[in-house]
Amino acid sequence: MTISPTSFAFVSDLVRRETAMLYDPGKEYLVEARLLPLAREAGCADVDGYVDRLRNDAAERAKVLDALTINETSWFRDNAPYQAFTETMLPAMLAAREHVRHLSIWSAACSSGQEAYSLAMLLDQHLPSGWTAQILATDVSTKMLERVKAGRYSQVEMNRGMPATSLVKYFTRAGSEWEVSDDLKRMVRTQSLNLSTPFPLLPTFDIVFLRNVLIYFDLETKRDILRRVHQVVAPDGFLLLGSSETTLDMEDHWEREAAGRVQIHRPMSLAAAPYATSLTPTAGAAAVWNPTAMTGA
Amino acid sequence: MYALIIDDSRAMRSILRRTVTDLGFETLEAGNGQEALDHLEAGRVPDLCLIDWNMPVMDGYTFITKVRANHAWRDITLMMVTTESEHGQIVRALAAGAHEYVIKPFTPDAIAEKLEMLGLVARAVPA
Amino acid sequence: MTVLAEPTLSDVQMVVEEVWSSFLGAEEPLLPGMPGELATGWSAAVTVSGAWDGMISVEVPTEMAEEVTRRMLAVDEAADEDVADAVGELVNMIGGNVKSLMPGPSALSLPVVAAGRVARSSDAVEVCRLDASWAGSPLLVSVHVHRPTQS
Repeated sequence: MTISPTSFAFVSDLVRRETAMLYDPGKEYLVEARLLPLAREAGCADVDGYVDRLRNDAAERAKVLDALTINETSWFRDNAPYQAFTETMLPAMLAAREHVRHLSIWSAACSSGQEAYSLAMLLDQHLPSGWTAQILATDVSTKMLERVKAGRYSQVEMNRGMPATSLVKYFTRAGSEWEVSDDLKRMVRTQSLNLSTPFPLLPTFDIVFLRNVLIYFDLETKRDILRRVHQVVAPDGFLLLGSSETTLDMEDHWEREAAGRVQIHRPMSLAAAPYATSLTPTAGAAAVWNPTAMTGA
Repeated sequence: MYALIIDDSRAMRSILRRTVTDLGFETLEAGNGQEALDHLEAGRVPDLCLIDWNMPVMDGYTFITKVRANHAWRDITLMMVTTESEHGQIVRALAAGAHEYVIKPFTPDAIAEKLEMLGLVARAVPA
Repeated sequence: MTVLAEPTLSDVQMVVEEVWSSFLGAEEPLLPGMPGELATGWSAAVTVSGAWDGMISVEVPTEMAEEVTRRMLAVDEAADEDVADAVGELVNMIGGNVKSLMPGPSALSLPVVAAGRVARSSDAVEVCRLDASWAGSPLLVSVHVHRPTQS
């Protein structure tokens, strides 16, 4: 056993605080087995060195929580956000983007991609013909992005919230896994992105899903992330956060409204005006949401 | 709410019983499709059936076709819970009238999420 | 002419790991490799017939079979009939998922469970073998197909 009691205490404390899961003494071997691959990936000589680094690195802490909590991400996780997507955000955007017939969506901190592909399935079902959509899936982990690109999920992952009708419609067997259809894969693009540092050049998004990731950052970083997200959301677009996350107590650049059981956020400046009339766009205004902007990134 | 658990393995029935009991269901059990039909014909009509595919006497697929042939049982929600995981088998079960399909192995969360999707379980308030 | 199609070891390992972690708890992971000799106490097998023909079997020592049974049934004492039922359900789940790895459609048999080693016909060829350990105890999952008759 090479993990020190101090390191083990730090990790078990972190996991208990964030997830209420307990790793009692005696489970050192398990913590070490799960952290060793992460330590190697991060270039640390051993698990103790890696744990030291966790103290100042929110992104690595998020990975550790992922590795130790075994929370397989569900398809259509929590459901209500997706209901808000099809019932509120999508109709508003279909009215607002009639002139370009294209939607641009960001799945931020996409992890293994269930959110991005869940949205792709809903778009496949609800976009009128003649429309296109692009979902940008970003994550700090290149390993996760490779998984999204491969679009392959284990049997256990497929059981989590995937309606059987969608399973047979959008997936085929690939060995012990299931693989998402090429049509959905074409809708989803991946890009490496660290939320806590300045963003690379991004297109303007109509809808942003930024769920269950802000909780890992301190208040100042949260504010900074939301400020930068504000700059890439269309003036009449939407931001959706996790159910325990809110822009309350942050800077007042967001208007909150209820959509079913979730809160959705709109950039402050235009949110007061009704969505459809706030646009009546000119050809020039349309260029802001020009889908060709997507190809540059 | 009543759930009828149809599986030839007592171990699996036990796992499913604990899972749905935690979700607020009362349970009935059957070791094959025929025993399950006997429950229904005796007037013990559940809200939900959890149905294995491969069982002696009458398999789960046949059971679904028999339930769907009887108009009086149209309100029963039918969910396959089976190790049968070929794409074509899932399509067949849905076409025969299954509402949902869970592939073994599964975790209790997977069952809970499917039953939430079907509107049989009130959605837990997300943490 | 029959083709000796076989599932890959990594796919079989994934299937077995999923069964184990779903029903026996994630805190004791299934590890590759056998810690010492396997003294088979219980074994179970299912056969697949159709587009692919094969037999999937699981062999475990008595103590593991009983521990698996106690966990699946949530009981303190595992009677023999309970053990047979639980081990049979394990091989049913593994076998059904192995079937899906292979060309279909095929049918899955009901499990056959034995106290001791499972009997196989003499022309059965082992095409995949997973040696593993769980909670310090060995287990074996294997896939057999019939040797094609030479003509």
